[in-house]
Amino acid sequence: MENKDNNKIPSTEESKMQRRCDNNKKTPSPKHLLLIEEDNVREEEDFLDEFQCSVCLDLLYKPVVLACGHLSCFWCVFHSMNMLQESRCPICRHLFNHFPSVCHLLHFLLIKMYPIAYKRREREVGEEEKKIGHFSPQFVHHPFGSHSGEEMDFPSNSLHFPINPQNKLCSNGCFSEEKEPSSSGNFAKAIAHREDNMKIVPSTLSSRSEGTTNAAIENCNLIRTESGHGIKTQASVADLLCAECKKLLFRPVVLNCGHVYCESCIISSMQGIPRCQICRSLHPNGIPSVCLVLEKFLEEHFSEIYAERRQVFAKQTDCQILLHKSVNQERKGVIEAKPCSSSAHTQQLGTQSSSVSATVYSSWIFGNGPEVHFGVGCDSCGMIPIIGKRYKCKDCSEEIGFDVCESCHNNPSEVSGRFNQQHKPEHNFEIAQPQCFGEFIQMLNLDHSDDSDDDGNDFPAPVLSDDALQDGEDSSNDLSDVSTSVLSVDVAPDQKDDPNVS
Amino acid sequence: MIDFARVQKELQECSRDVEASGIKVAPKSDNLGRLTGTIPGPVGTPYEGGTFQIDITLPDGYPFEPPKMQFATKVWHPNISSQSGAICLDILKDQWSPALTLKTALLSVQALLSTPEPGDPQDAVVAQQYLRDYQTFVGTARYWTETFAKTSSLGVEEKVQKLVEMGFPEALARSALESVGGDENLALEKLCSG
Repeated sequence: MENKDNNKIPSTEESKMQRRCDNNKKTPSPKHLLLIEEDNVREEEDFLDEFQCSVCLDLLYKPVVLACGHLSCFWCVFHSMNMLQESRCPICRHLFNHFPSVCHLLHFLLIKMYPIAYKRREREVGEEEKKIGHFSPQFVHHPFGSHSGEEMDFPSNSLHFPINPQNKLCSNGCFSEEKEPSSSGNFAKAIAHREDNMKIVPSTLSSRSEGTTNAAIENCNLIRTESGHGIKTQASVADLLCAECKKLLFRPVVLNCGHVYCESCIISSMQGIPRCQICRSLHPNGIPSVCLVLEKFLEEHFSEIYAERRQVFAKQTDCQILLHKSVNQERKGVIEAKPCSSSAHTQQLGTQSSSVSATVYSSWIFGNGPEVHFGVGCDSCGMIPIIGKRYKCKDCSEEIGFDVCESCHNNPSEVSGRFNQQHKPEHNFEIAQPQCFGEFIQMLNLDHSDDSDDDGNDFPAPVLSDDALQDGEDSSNDLSDVSTSVLSVDVAPDQKDDPNVS
Repeated sequence: MIDFARVQKELQECSRDVEASGIKVAPKSDNLGRLTGTIPGPVGTPYEGGTFQIDITLPDGYPFEPPKMQFATKVWHPNISSQSGAICLDILKDQWSPALTLKTALLSVQALLSTPEPGDPQDAVVAQQYLRDYQTFVGTARYWTETFAKTSSLGVEEKVQKLVEMGFPEALARSALESVGGDENLALEKLCSG
């Protein structure tokens, strides 16, 4: 478990210099200059290739993991999405129609491992967001919030999940940073410790007494290496726990809500539709694929524990196979070997994970399908565009409004918006009308007018509200099986002339 | 707004393994929105030995919209317009993905050179010829490569030799030729003036 950065690409000095040059090029404000100076004092960390976003080619910032297991930055995923129909993963073109929440576990892992680089990203993205006027979800207990000052303007409405009795279960787990103010305070302290070249305090354990902390340091869970210019903080097992079994993640899968589980945990706990044990939200379209980036990271950084986990898992599956065999023998007298039942299961589910047939989108245009709200996504489950009835918050004033689909409206969860909306449970909703066919055509025309300024929100800020429906790309129609039942999307025919709507 | 930070990174990445891939991307001017890509003709095709220049224009939405690519070098190929150089390639249109880069797109263009799709032509005349009279097609394509895609690389050694015979040191002659893009007269001018 030595320094894993050894086997990293030669991204190195050269690119680091370049990065710094890039920084120096954009120097609009004295404040910015100040920050750059601050940065120059400490060298920016080199990050692993795996943590490079394949869209912006920089360190992942607020990583979002898609159902296919590929990950990208929050804005990179959002800008890649098709506002008119199903979107495709930028990496594998896998179809998806839900914009997942930011993966907190990875977010905090990256903060911990690359505090300086991540801070730079935060600054850059923050400026970009200010320019376009829309903000990604802000995290309440952001360790760097107080440093930059920029994100403090947006009070604490974040994507994190409400504290309810279930959450107590994982107070010692990977999500504790977000939930317990005390531990997050300690998290910040841990960073401070790092800066003071002191022994690192693991964030999640630090809420305990110092004694346990020291024990934890002796325990080889925490890796701290000194290399090159500074000290690199390495991830600890406590940062990478399954939300279900509270052990080191094995074959990690990330649900639509951004919470991370072992593949086997989610398969065994689910009955029909995967549901997050922490936030109780449903995961649409079957079990997601294993996040290979995270798995590789686990394998490399926690090789021993991971190997152990693999063995245990293999034993379990052996038992299952034996059980399976004996059952089969009893029933049929035939031995049927299933080498890895659960992955086979996943694969099966994975292939059906595309969701809404492309005809659903086009049938609305021709007036014989369920409503499709082009360019508007559900802030609760992330479905873009919303299919079925759309409820719009009357009291949210942001330019990106707060919209929910029918099933999320009927089963409200306290999960807040995909963006930085200040939505409160007491806000009132109204049913919003989708665009009619003529407007849709107009929108397409606008879209083809080569980004003229009248559809100003086009690329930098495609907006999830009816204020700006212009975004869209022509895209291929790929048919896939309808399994809209997953989120009980209302596909009742012909709601175009819905008389109930005020 | 083009993501210039990403374009910068792409250019670095591309220049890093230019020797392995042979693919170059260089900005036309200070503005990173317009670039020139260079790909070597694939070995074993009528385009072998040629060096093809491709004009690249980045749209505002790059990398969420595909880059606009067009051959600046004339090329005889069913999926490339012999008039305008327009390229018929799905990843430059609806199959674009933001995870693709200029380099991977140019690699795809290079692959297109070795695997023409006459069933989905950009240039109907070339496609017709490809289907009806393959030998003539190969001949024409090779002739176009010789004529249009080799001006800078054809006989570099001979040109160097020529300049050396005129009395210039070989290294100097070579660098002068490179800096002017292979034109021996320009190189001579440069050598005389500098």
